Amino acid sequence: MLGFRSEAHVDAWCEKRELPRRPIVNLEQQWHLAKTWYENRLTVELRRPGPEEMVEIFSSIGLEGPFWNPQSDEF
Amino acid sequence: MDFETTLKMRIYGLTVENAQVPSLDRLSSDLGRSRQEIEAECASLGAKRLLVLDNVSGEIRMAPPFSGVSTPHKVTVGDKTYSANCIWDAFGVAAALGADAEITTGCADCGEAMSFQVRNGSPVPAPCAIHYAVPAAHWWDDIVFT
Repeated sequence: MLGFRSEAHVDAWCEKRELPRRPIVNLEQQWHLAKTWYENRLTVELRRPGPEEMVEIFSSIGLEGPFWNPQSDEF
Repeated sequence: MDFETTLKMRIYGLTVENAQVPSLDRLSSDLGRSRQEIEAECASLGAKRLLVLDNVSGEIRMAPPFSGVSTPHKVTVGDKTYSANCIWDAFGVAAALGADAEITTGCADCGEAMSFQVRNGSPVPAPCAIHYAVPAAHWWDDIVFT
């Protein structure tokens, strides 16, 4: 994932590289993902979410569909 | 505590303390284990996607959210500045440390500096768009480019 100043900059970046525009995440959503993945990272309980958990986490902030499913074979 | 947990805690403890991911030799010295034992355990953590090792040197390239190499994604907490692997991980450093943070990175299109602040457990609103070019199923095909 890459950070851009605005969606216009995402469009320009995709166009220059002839890449499709894909999902854009806002700051609140990104913070939720960062906290969910990493807030226990410095503790003995550290672990990564499993594939099913990931789907639930993404869905909880409105990121749904095969793009956000680590087990999907649609892409 | 088993050795895997001891190693993970030492990797992160040294990283936080020194603002630098430790070398395998440093871990070997600190933990009183051979370099080969450290390499084997780090490879096991890599297989679990908890570390990413450099293909050539075998050193720790990523101890997510921290980067083992300097990157444009900087996170300053107190008097220490950490390199993160990407913008997700930059916020992840702040989340892992549970501290106020200053994050600087650059717009992937134009290169202009972007900065963010985390205060009291939340990011201060700031304009940005975070684009996911790679579907989740393929993030680990090339974790350096997601």
